[in-house]
Amino acid sequence: MDFSFLGFNIGSLNVWAVWILPFVGALVIPAAARVSKAGPGYVAVAFALVSAISAATLLPLALNNHEIHSQIPWIPSVGLKAGVLADPLAVLMANIVGWISFLIFVYSLGYMKGDRDLMRFFFWMAFFVGSMQLIVLSDNFLQLFFGWEGVGLASYALIGFWYRDKKKDHVGTEGRTVLGLLDYYSPTQSGMKSFIMTKVGDIMMLSGMFLIFAFAGTFGFKELASNTSWATAMSAHNLLIPAAILLFGGAVGKSAQFPLNEWLLEAMTGPTSVSALIHAATMVKAGVFLVARLGPLFFALAAAGLDMNQFFEVVAWVGAITAFLLATQGMVHTEIKKVLAYSTGSQIGYMMLALGVAGLSRQFVDGYTAGFFHLISHAMFKASLFMAAGSLLHVVGSRFMTDMGGLRRLMPKTYIFMWAAGLGLMGAPFISTGFWSKDAIFGAVYQSGSSWALPLFIIAAITAVMTTFYTTRLIGMVFFGNKSKHIEHLEKEGYHVHEASPVMWIPYGILAALTIGVGILGLAFEHQIHDIFTAYLASDFGIKSSVGAVATQSQNLLGGFLEGVNPLALSISLSAFAVGFVLGYIFYIGRFADPAKVVNSNIFFYAIHKFFLNRWYLDALINWTFVVGPLYVARGIYRYFEDKVMEGFNLVPEKTMAGGARIMQATQTGISQSYLYIFGAGILIVLLLLFI
Amino acid sequence: MMQYLLLQAIFLPLLLSPVAYILGKRSGPNAATWFSFGIMAYCTAIVILASTSGNYGEHYPWTQQFGEFGLVLDGLSTPFAIIIYVVSTLVVLFSKPYMVAKLTAQYQEKANSQKQVVGEGQTTMVESASLKSYVNQQVGIYYALYLVMAMGMLGAVLATNLIEFYIFFEFMLIPAFFMIALWGYELKRRVALLFFFWTHVGAVALLLGFLAIGLYSGSFNYADIHESAIPHSILVLAAIGIIIGLGVKMAAFVIHVWLPHTYRAAPTPLNALSSGAMMGVGAYGFFRFLAMLLPAEFGHVALFLNLWGVATMLYGSIMALTQDDIRKFFAYSSISQMGYILFGIGSASALGLSGSELFFVSTSIGKVILFLMVGAIILQVGTRSITKMGGLAANMPITATCAMIGVLTLMGIPPTIGFMSEWTMFTGVLQTAIQEGSTIRVVSFALGLIATVITMAYSLWMMKRVFFGKLPEHLKNTKEASWYVTGPMMVLAGFSIVIGIYPDIFFNKIIPFMRGLVGV
Repeated sequence: MDFSFLGFNIGSLNVWAVWILPFVGALVIPAAARVSKAGPGYVAVAFALVSAISAATLLPLALNNHEIHSQIPWIPSVGLKAGVLADPLAVLMANIVGWISFLIFVYSLGYMKGDRDLMRFFFWMAFFVGSMQLIVLSDNFLQLFFGWEGVGLASYALIGFWYRDKKKDHVGTEGRTVLGLLDYYSPTQSGMKSFIMTKVGDIMMLSGMFLIFAFAGTFGFKELASNTSWATAMSAHNLLIPAAILLFGGAVGKSAQFPLNEWLLEAMTGPTSVSALIHAATMVKAGVFLVARLGPLFFALAAAGLDMNQFFEVVAWVGAITAFLLATQGMVHTEIKKVLAYSTGSQIGYMMLALGVAGLSRQFVDGYTAGFFHLISHAMFKASLFMAAGSLLHVVGSRFMTDMGGLRRLMPKTYIFMWAAGLGLMGAPFISTGFWSKDAIFGAVYQSGSSWALPLFIIAAITAVMTTFYTTRLIGMVFFGNKSKHIEHLEKEGYHVHEASPVMWIPYGILAALTIGVGILGLAFEHQIHDIFTAYLASDFGIKSSVGAVATQSQNLLGGFLEGVNPLALSISLSAFAVGFVLGYIFYIGRFADPAKVVNSNIFFYAIHKFFLNRWYLDALINWTFVVGPLYVARGIYRYFEDKVMEGFNLVPEKTMAGGARIMQATQTGISQSYLYIFGAGILIVLLLLFI
Repeated sequence: MMQYLLLQAIFLPLLLSPVAYILGKRSGPNAATWFSFGIMAYCTAIVILASTSGNYGEHYPWTQQFGEFGLVLDGLSTPFAIIIYVVSTLVVLFSKPYMVAKLTAQYQEKANSQKQVVGEGQTTMVESASLKSYVNQQVGIYYALYLVMAMGMLGAVLATNLIEFYIFFEFMLIPAFFMIALWGYELKRRVALLFFFWTHVGAVALLLGFLAIGLYSGSFNYADIHESAIPHSILVLAAIGIIIGLGVKMAAFVIHVWLPHTYRAAPTPLNALSSGAMMGVGAYGFFRFLAMLLPAEFGHVALFLNLWGVATMLYGSIMALTQDDIRKFFAYSSISQMGYILFGIGSASALGLSGSELFFVSTSIGKVILFLMVGAIILQVGTRSITKMGGLAANMPITATCAMIGVLTLMGIPPTIGFMSEWTMFTGVLQTAIQEGSTIRVVSFALGLIATVITMAYSLWMMKRVFFGKLPEHLKNTKEASWYVTGPMMVLAGFSIVIGIYPDIFFNKIIPFMRGLVGV
């Protein structure tokens, strides 16, 4: 077939297919639901697979630093084209999204079995993945924004999937209040919260987009990179940095970074496969991807003499603060998915930190690679952890870790896989992907040469300790110790706690195995990505990196095995792991000490525990300032202004007319004498007037 | 045949409205509905047909004083004309179940009150026969009025002459007055008068403005009006008259007070038409009379319109947050949405104006879907209080899905048309702000974006309270609405997405026109 009239060649069809296929799948799903009850699930899996395969066909492009850029007309009257851009960054991302989503879809077949709204579920899942791939492959802001809001919409629909708001689907502890507001959210409320909160980020992003459009007249990434006169003009108006930071605002919202982080915790009300998708492959990764998309563009402006340091400082600090803030809270919560959610936000903070630091250092590609590598490894282990947590919820029927305990013999496979993926999150030395990627971030921060390097590095290290601690705590609470009362109660009623079905454990098993498998080859893998990005950044943005820099700074540790690793970063990373793990082991695996006793032992621990448990009071404060307070004010305005003052506009003419009518009525008495008197008086007046 | 297309589209509904009445009276609601639907569908088709041939116009001689009688489809009027007639056609269908239910209820109310006077005695058979004839006759009147109103709206948009516009404008208001007075709720007579009073305050202001322009420029034809021929002091007064007149129709902040009452009392199909079509005539007027006929004066008031728009957006959306009556809720939402249009017009840039015009198409689609949803709920559930609803999504899945698309359209979330109109509009506003280096405009831009978040908050909150959560016991047996309601909703939802993905359907007309209007 000849598609040349559309302006693109047939060779790029596989790029288009990557994002279009999931949407097609979404459209087919309602029809499939009519054929059979299980139809939607299989259709969704099939389309996810084909989409992932077409993403895989693009991999050679990335390895050879080629790219496909294909456009079709879209809004000719404004001069806009739709297009796909498959450069190495997009191709790598598309593969992560595609394959991890595929595994999650398979898992959902088992997890959602028997739900009465399978059609709706898989429709939105497919829509979710399609939107994410659209973000990844778009060649311009406007089209990207379609995907951007698409993931927001899908997450709204899926977080609130169980819209009947049953008690078991809530998040938080019933009746618990913080600053007088309930810390207990229903699915529909959480969906709404996430959509609106991310929208706050989105309007910032829109303003950034429009600002750039006003100067550049284009939304295209390629155009923006090739001709940077727009940046010079914006800089002359002092608008360049604000526009960049506004764009970053979009990423802050989507990726749940401080101060728009609070929606992510309530996003747990959705089915667990949704959480896995949001946290590993779509949604929160969209923000990181956006920064990865824009980072080089802004960094390359240095060549035009424009200093973008402030932008990168904001990115790095937001990342660091989020990483720390959320890790502290991850240590104290007892809902398993909530702990994982805190950990996601915190890990995304790491990625932002790395990308921000990249822009502050001379060696841009180091931080860039570190951030992206962490994205990959996080996608694997977090998807695995979430799916495993889903199995636990499924089997135990409670979202609280205090209702689990002692499960290692009852669910051996889940136990092993959770360890494997958990080691990835902790960054267990030398064997997990998480270790290498985290270490790369530490190295990048440490070597950046930025004046902020030291404080950022310290925050990152403390966060690493906490990360290891809460991961150990999670595994300890779930699998070690005695069975909880809840499980004993279940068993007494004849319920047999058992391993999840293969369709569920195989997907997270694969990812857990990959976490370790890729981990063992970690450095080689990292160098491969490093090479790809070095070539990509040089050819597309003209960002040169001194190839030798990595080698010269590193020492020959362990006979070349650790080539390119900064020794200080390495040792800090190792000790962070050790401290966190030992603490976690003492309290939760070995159970040598009772954590509750320690917390209550002195006022300081107690206060800090409560402070973390109440989420630094951020959620409650945001609620008071932006929801409850304004609603009071709105009601006040309605009652005292709209209903009183403005209503006067209606009443005044009405009353005057009614009053006028009454006067007129009063004059029409029907008594002829009074008419005559008035008539006479009138004549007198006329006569008087005539005489004067 | 090609010559009298628009003349047909305008006058067929008027001429055939007595037929609709007779059909209704003789053969009942079905006949009247499908007859009216047929006329409207035919007229819509010919409007669309005419619009495909580029700029299409018909000019007929009229009177010496007033000038010609013309009907023109240009880049400005085409989108308005098409969406007004599409909406009018679809609401015909929705009117049937709604009006039958409403009239039955009204009859019973009347019968009850008569019973108390006369005492029991009538047999049920007599009652059902007289109920039938009552419904038939009233439905006939309804559709007759409906067709006249539709004609008025289209005529106003296609007119090429100030007096012609004004006549059609009145044709649109009078039937609405009768509809409220005859088939409204609660204080319907009082509200009908309120509506009449306010819209005529507006209409008179508008007419005075028109007369000033027409008398000074020696012609009422748009084509012959030159701003430079009019003395400046007169021009200012004329512009003020027009702004007030149209502002009342669009229910902009401060002069919006009539609208919540009207929406609360009016029958739902009229609400749908009002938000989806009638208010658009007001918006259209801003483009035609200010931006096009009085460009210099427009330049002076643009910033004011922009700020007025932002104030309306914010105020309407904040008030919507506080409402419990679902119709009043949408009344305030409509106010807020009309604010967006003023906001875009006030940008005085090609993109801003284009976005603002497309926004009318967008809000029309969204609002009509949502008013049909309101109608569906009133028909199926029988309550208008939002707090008494909840969990209806399971019982009314099609309505819920369409309503969601409608809400997304209001919020401006892609891939609905709402996003396409909003991004162009906001870009336009920002462009002007940068060009003029105006801080006020930047602030207004930011406040406008904040208003979109509030819009989102009230819309989603409404959806949550109506469709999600626990299903109350008394709503357990709620059923999905009939095809008369869901069909039009689905069609509009489809439009929203198709235009949202490929906006050039309208943009290829709007944008060149606006570029010609403001340059750039």
